[in-house]
Amino acid sequence: MKRFLVIFLMLALGFYLIQALHFVPFGANRMGAPADKKTVAAFYLNETVPQTAVANVVTAIVVNYRGFDTLGEVTVLFLATTGLASILYKRRDEEETERVSKPSSTILQTGAKVLFPLVVILGVYVFVHGHLTPGGGFQGGAIIATGFLLMLIAYQKYHLSHSMLTWVESLAGILFVSIGLWGLITGGTFLENSWFPKGTLNSLISGGAIPIIYIAVGFKVAAELTGVLDILLSTKDDKSASNIQQ
Amino acid sequence: MCSFDYQTIMSISIYGSSVVLMLLGLYAVLVKKNLIKIVIGLSIVDSGLHLLFVAVGYLHNGTAPIFSPEAVDKVNQMVDPVPQALVLTAIVIGFATTAVALSLVIRLYKHHKTARIDQIKSLKW
Amino acid sequence: MSITPVHYIAVPLAAAFLIPILSKFHKETARIIPGLVFSYFLVISFVLMRQVSNTGIISETIAGWRAPWGINLVFGYFSGFFATLMSVIGFLTWLYSYRFKLVDSKPAMSYYILLMMLVTGSIGIVITGDIFNMFVFLEIVAISAFSLTSFYPGRDGAEAAFKYLLIASFSSFLILLAVLLLYTQTGTLNIAELSTKVHLIPQSLKLTILVMFVVGLGIESELFPLNGWAPDAYSQAPAPVGAVFAGVVVKGGIYATMRVMFTMFDINEMGQILLILGLITTIIAEVAAIKQTQVKRMLAYSSIGQMGVVMMAIGIGTEDAVFAALFMMFNHAIIKGLLFFSTGFLLHNSLTKTIAEMKGVAKKFPVLSFMFALGSFAIVGLPPFSGFWSKLYFLMAAADAKLFSMIALVLAVSIVEIVYYFRVVGVMYYHQPDESLPTKQPGLNAYFVMGFLAALIIGVGVYPDLITNFLHAAAYELTHKTEYVQTVLTQFVR
Repeated sequence: MKRFLVIFLMLALGFYLIQALHFVPFGANRMGAPADKKTVAAFYLNETVPQTAVANVVTAIVVNYRGFDTLGEVTVLFLATTGLASILYKRRDEEETERVSKPSSTILQTGAKVLFPLVVILGVYVFVHGHLTPGGGFQGGAIIATGFLLMLIAYQKYHLSHSMLTWVESLAGILFVSIGLWGLITGGTFLENSWFPKGTLNSLISGGAIPIIYIAVGFKVAAELTGVLDILLSTKDDKSASNIQQ
Repeated sequence: MCSFDYQTIMSISIYGSSVVLMLLGLYAVLVKKNLIKIVIGLSIVDSGLHLLFVAVGYLHNGTAPIFSPEAVDKVNQMVDPVPQALVLTAIVIGFATTAVALSLVIRLYKHHKTARIDQIKSLKW
Repeated sequence: MSITPVHYIAVPLAAAFLIPILSKFHKETARIIPGLVFSYFLVISFVLMRQVSNTGIISETIAGWRAPWGINLVFGYFSGFFATLMSVIGFLTWLYSYRFKLVDSKPAMSYYILLMMLVTGSIGIVITGDIFNMFVFLEIVAISAFSLTSFYPGRDGAEAAFKYLLIASFSSFLILLAVLLLYTQTGTLNIAELSTKVHLIPQSLKLTILVMFVVGLGIESELFPLNGWAPDAYSQAPAPVGAVFAGVVVKGGIYATMRVMFTMFDINEMGQILLILGLITTIIAEVAAIKQTQVKRMLAYSSIGQMGVVMMAIGIGTEDAVFAALFMMFNHAIIKGLLFFSTGFLLHNSLTKTIAEMKGVAKKFPVLSFMFALGSFAIVGLPPFSGFWSKLYFLMAAADAKLFSMIALVLAVSIVEIVYYFRVVGVMYYHQPDESLPTKQPGLNAYFVMGFLAALIIGVGVYPDLITNFLHAAAYELTHKTEYVQTVLTQFVR
């Protein structure tokens, strides 16, 4: 009975969604010609290169035009790690349980050892070149976190220093906010970019403070995602995890 | 002559798959009894929505909004960059929500020794 | 460097990132820094409110981009009212929980950071001028709220938080979808620019977007039928967090609803629906409240009921009705704060928190019981207290709109409210005390917080002009959106 009700609800919702999407023709130009600057998107496409010297318009939007959103996003991640730590907090009397009882195979262990530095280098590359190529702080940070995930899966005894993660996370966050506040203190607006030399388009040093912020975001996201994975992995129940399926 | 041109097929397949993903995810959230499956449902809903974000920004025959040396003069063909920037935020927020949801599931499982929603009394509406 | 609205966000964020490092060196910093931030909130609110009364609405750009291109913050009477209220409640909550029983230092740090971010996120919702940025702040609030709801491992907090998470995810899904559809039709995300462009949207799509906003934001503002999370979250979270939920988080949701309905769209399109939804919410919540055996659940249902009345006032949509809604929200924040704060100590060591356990507590805690009783009298709207005026203004606004059947229903619901609040007060004063429960006396800080709130309730009750001028200005600003739109869109960057 409940199932039919849900299916009916789904159908109704789907009907309204498709109705709404009729007004959004696929692939049509809704932003107008970039030179007209009628919409926000056209403005960004037209002005990003002269104003910020950043090749990747998405990066310019994420870090500069809508940088406040990014600050909020970073905060959401920070709150997720803080919240996770408090939700899964163990008191002293509950001893740390061993992560997984069965050791992983030699193939996985060796492969992880080889891949780990490469994955980290790829991640660093992605967030350092965030203003030139697709990618950026969030993507690069996520890639680095997968490297750590690989190590956590391959080696049960792999130890991550929580203190280190906290330092990286906090310092990167403080760097982001201080760059923002510096703009405010020097008489501009919060997160302003113009006080920093712009550099030339399509070279590594370009875009003013944007790459610096994105590198800080990369470190922060990598530390936070790794922290989340570590907290989730280290709170297994005493029995094996397969029980949760049932 | 075929009545379906390229444009229509693309629009049906991309919009259609994002709507289907959203509805499937919602179905899983509403019907499934296992907490893990509910969390998976939540992230499927998110995926559908993110696909929709990227899809509405698409421009016919568009290129990525990056002024690389080869594409400096292609400004008129670039796709809408704003939904791509928004979807980045949305993905990160979705990740944070999923992480919190999973940690809650771990705690529920530890407390009740079950991950089935119908066996946890206080979760019943 | 002069004080600008962005300080509301930048300062607590810097503090939140600093706390994990500083608390490695000194544990007390985790407790003290949020207090300093909350005190600074009070300073910002005071300075900015004076500035608003001198020069009108303040619009601040972020990253040096003028309004439609970048994100902007707007601080006028309307936003300022909410931001000030949230700052005050946040500060009082911090002061109240300053000596709160905390198991260990690490969860204590999480508690203070999450509490600070809960208030910061709510202030972000009210000062931002960008609809997507508002969504980001809604999520900051949501993530902190989940974690705080499940803060105590001993209670059923995880269940409540999971329920809350499921419903809030649905809400954010709808809001995000609505924002996306708005963006595709208007090409902008700025609220002021959207308000000049919504007429371009085809009517049927506009209705779909509006429904998505009403349902999505209705979840945040505890509107029927998706308010199932509220009683659980209120009852499982630590008592001071209950006060923040009632005084800050819900207010953020209502602010977002009002901003979307009045500034972005035209209230007349959705007014009737909000009116009916609010009415249903109130009736169901008050009937449910009378059946509750747990004090905090009863307070939560009463909170939902009050928000239903606020939603009705928004639905009426006249300037007087908005004024009544704002007055009610002010009262609800301070009175519910007092009720939650006093319950926190009255039932400090009880696990079940039932009404029966409050038997005769008046003998053990004369002051606390007096505070609870005062809060009860105030919230049902007895004359010498501030709750009376807001109800009166609401009934007057409803009478102006010729909604007499609604007046009758609201009065009937008030009687239900009187019944269940007075039942608790009766249990407290006219039953023999139960000796078995151990007690905990509140500290001086808690007494100060409750005394301040009680003084505010009586002060506004005796002399409502203390805040009415201010609320009239806020209501005027919301219902006449031209100044808002003009200020935001014609702004120049230095």
